[in-house]
Amino acid sequence: MSSVSSPASTRLGLRRALMRNRGALIAAAVLAILLFIVDWISAGPLTYFDVSFLSSGGATSALAAIGQTIVILSGGFDLSAGAVISLVNVVLASSMDPMAPGASILLWTAVGIGVGMAVGAFNGFFIAVLRMQPIVVTLSTMFILQGVTLLVMDKPGGFVSPDLGTFYLGDAIAGWLPMPLVVIGVVLLAWFWLKGTRFGTALYAVGSDVDSAASVGINIVLVRFAVYVIAGGCYGFAGVFISAQTGSGDPLVGNPLLLSMFAAVVVGGSRLGGGQGGPVGTVFGAYILMMVVNILLVLNVSAYYSTIAEGTILVLAALAGSLSHTSVLAVQLRAARDRLAAWRAGMLPSQLEPIDRRLKMAGPPNGQRGPASPRPAFRLRNAEALRYALPAYICLLAIVIVTQIWLGRAIFNPGYWNSLLVLSSFLAVLALGQGTVILTGGLDLSVPWTIGISGIILAGMVNGSDAALVYALPVVLVMACAIGFANGFGIAYLGISPIVMTLATNGILQGFALVYSQGTPAGFSSPMLRWFMTAKLGFVTPIVLLMIIFVVAAVLLLGRTPFGRRVYGIGNGLRAARLSGIGVERTLILVYMLSAFCAAIVGVMLTGFSGQASLGMGDDYLLPSIAVVVVGGALITGGRGHYLGMLGGVLLLTALQMLLAGTTLPYATRAILYGLVVLGAVMALRERRLQ
Amino acid sequence: MGIGSKVRRLALLAGMAACAFGMSGAEAAQKHKIFLSMSYIGNDWQAEAANMVKAMAAHKSLADKVDLQVQVAGPNAQRQIQQINAMVQSGAEAIVVYPISPTALNQVVKNACDKGVKVFAYDAEITEPCAYNVHIDQLEAGRVTAEWLVKKLNGKGNIIAITGVPGTSVDDQRTKAAKEVFAKYPDIKIVGEAVGMWSQAVARTELSKILATRNWGDINGLWMQVGCFTANSMQLEAGKKASELLPCAGEGSNGGRIQMLPEGTEVEGAAAPYAPAGAQRISYASPPYSGALALKLAVEAIEGKDVPKTTILPLPVVTNETIKLCNEGTWAEMKAGCNVFKPSLVSNPGWFASIFSDQTPEIGLNAALVGQPEN
Repeated sequence: MSSVSSPASTRLGLRRALMRNRGALIAAAVLAILLFIVDWISAGPLTYFDVSFLSSGGATSALAAIGQTIVILSGGFDLSAGAVISLVNVVLASSMDPMAPGASILLWTAVGIGVGMAVGAFNGFFIAVLRMQPIVVTLSTMFILQGVTLLVMDKPGGFVSPDLGTFYLGDAIAGWLPMPLVVIGVVLLAWFWLKGTRFGTALYAVGSDVDSAASVGINIVLVRFAVYVIAGGCYGFAGVFISAQTGSGDPLVGNPLLLSMFAAVVVGGSRLGGGQGGPVGTVFGAYILMMVVNILLVLNVSAYYSTIAEGTILVLAALAGSLSHTSVLAVQLRAARDRLAAWRAGMLPSQLEPIDRRLKMAGPPNGQRGPASPRPAFRLRNAEALRYALPAYICLLAIVIVTQIWLGRAIFNPGYWNSLLVLSSFLAVLALGQGTVILTGGLDLSVPWTIGISGIILAGMVNGSDAALVYALPVVLVMACAIGFANGFGIAYLGISPIVMTLATNGILQGFALVYSQGTPAGFSSPMLRWFMTAKLGFVTPIVLLMIIFVVAAVLLLGRTPFGRRVYGIGNGLRAARLSGIGVERTLILVYMLSAFCAAIVGVMLTGFSGQASLGMGDDYLLPSIAVVVVGGALITGGRGHYLGMLGGVLLLTALQMLLAGTTLPYATRAILYGLVVLGAVMALRERRLQ
Repeated sequence: MGIGSKVRRLALLAGMAACAFGMSGAEAAQKHKIFLSMSYIGNDWQAEAANMVKAMAAHKSLADKVDLQVQVAGPNAQRQIQQINAMVQSGAEAIVVYPISPTALNQVVKNACDKGVKVFAYDAEITEPCAYNVHIDQLEAGRVTAEWLVKKLNGKGNIIAITGVPGTSVDDQRTKAAKEVFAKYPDIKIVGEAVGMWSQAVARTELSKILATRNWGDINGLWMQVGCFTANSMQLEAGKKASELLPCAGEGSNGGRIQMLPEGTEVEGAAAPYAPAGAQRISYASPPYSGALALKLAVEAIEGKDVPKTTILPLPVVTNETIKLCNEGTWAEMKAGCNVFKPSLVSNPGWFASIFSDQTPEIGLNAALVGQPEN
């Protein structure tokens, strides 16, 4: 505060500022190195044209990722970002008049940002005011928006005035400063202003610790609402930019941007879960990801290997960003050194004499409890599980009744119930893996290609022979465990965020699947596997019987075993779990192994169901696997949820899809209905008002 | 920090490798530099198309003329824009592209054309007028298949429609054209409709959902963009005899075509459901040779020949009357009229069998399977 500061304190201040912005600084350094590499390996020197071109290439994802960063800083999560970009794109492309002489850049930019903010307000209302979980609200919004987008424009086309392109892709100062960089700069300046206000402080406070923020008098509802509106505006701006860049509309243009947005946030040094990081690093992150693609392009890396390279770079970037004295990796290395020293000194618990060292407790001696208090009623003992699991089943009942009234042949048709269970079986298995990961507060994004590669390898080895199944199945399951081990190791020991680690694994697996299959997976399911998935014993498909056993095992695993209790312990508080003696690392690795194992089983089941394996066969299962867990009452931040609830979520979403498939409603309407029902189903899961 | 230096060292190595590439490029200076920009490679069609383009480039008629480099953009239109720009930068003479979006690439393609680069889009279309397009008429595909189905059903019956990827022009055109045909026959009723994403696996899931509240007995016919092979397998599983299979208008997968052969035909490697069943079918496809043809046309265009801006490929249609098994799958054999391959040669039933074109004697079955041109 004093105007004259000693050199030491300046150095300290500088050091602290550096530490606080480490993520962004490292990202900037990596970007500079990448630019240097591009300059070196491309034919000529890096000209202004190249810089201008690179800056416009990454601008859309940078703008959108800024919005995502703000949401993540506040402790939220936004899956609707890609859908907003598509929506803004088609709105602009369908409402601009090709005959009009010129287009007002200000007006159309405002329209785009306005549409984005409107969507943000929709998200914000449910998340902030109704206190619903961000991931499931924005997932529903994503489905709804995809439907609305197709209603606005059902195929690519339309017209975006070239004026927009000339403005946004042109030069701010000819030959010196490309416009996209100015646009990003302006958005970042706005962010710096915002960060300096009380709102900015409140934003970080809410992201760090909601309860403390509330108790110092921050209006949580308002902050959260504003966060989603601001983020929506950023996505809207990104939509305007991509419209300017493409000069037309395409209802699918924004969807693939979603996952890379999260990668950009993490590479830029922000922490998923909130409170740490900022949009500056994210901008660098977005450009890093783009440069990596460019470098692969210049090096002419075979297409099959490009996802492997991208995944590896993602992990390396995350590792480089987290290298410090306090990083998980450093802590683990120190712990290992200490353990080694303890082992040398013979002080490890396992090396000590096994005698009872428990503290003597005053009170009744062991084995003799005081007067047994009466066991509370079932309803009371399981009050929480019931409260969060029941809504899914109530909605399921409603959907089945609607199906019966609308389509007939549901409730009294055994075929309907059998189809429901068979179609649910895939998600039911995935829900155990993904659900357990979510219970620990993580997320497994490597599910799609774990499914894919398991199915492909199984089909290739089995090739229609039941005998081969005997050894192919264990091989595939062991491989899946290895995948899960890699995920868990990266997360627990290297300290890489679960989203980044599993996203990278997913890319690497995709590459392996492509290389292994050379683009066309060979082989097909054996008769026995097909029989399990498609035959009928009376009215029942054999897999349904296996599912019952699976469900019982899953409930016991999570509810009645030490492993299950450790999972809940980690989800409720990592530090508390560690202090109570839970082997957090080992448990996390087991959790990710379980998830990969479940995904592999689904890959095998899908191969049996379809008769063959195909590339991308798991792609449709990632978002549903998360949705069912949350719809079933689990908390995305971990610690709360019951497998039976998740199963209810699976049955609900499957029954809903069956109902919609039985109608002849257009796809757009179905998407909107699907989103609305999911939103309605989780309305009942709202958290109680903060005290 | 050890990792940082390692990354840098790797980068150095990579840079050196690139320099080495650059040198080997110098001696190939006489060749035409042509790039292939693909969309995602995660499906059979794309893999086949890529193989056939590579085979075309390796054929003796083109091998010493063409230096082909392949890039993949994934499903991301933005990335494809970037890639095409980079290709123009590195001196491409022609770019053969599977466009992810018919409109999003217009500006970058225009930019390429202005620099004298020939841009050839295959299978799907680029609406920018300076681009060359090589594809089938999707409206015709929808119309012909719908008309066949109506005729099979004598203008009366309940049908199920499984469409492609919503929001794409190809799906929109096929579905619209088919529905126009169905609308002319008031007794043809679409009782179920689902999005099949051009995938056999998705078609199966969606059909299972529809059939949960319906019986096969309530349905008289199927119109699918992809999925007849699956639909026939499902009917066989449900206990239908091969002779009772519903008429199905759909894709040109090899599995579907094998099922079209009369029941009991001896075919090497066949195992149910990938076996002859006498299924009533019309099989059409967006042929995967279009990329290879586009490459050939691109070379002609570079050499100054006059190439039309739009090449509409003949719609490959196979019905039970014209189905014929190939022995080896050479171009000459396909020219003589065979159009389906033995499971012992093509183990993947989802593999697309419409690989024959009059205009591409350079490529046959081996081109599509392993990228090997004909002699």
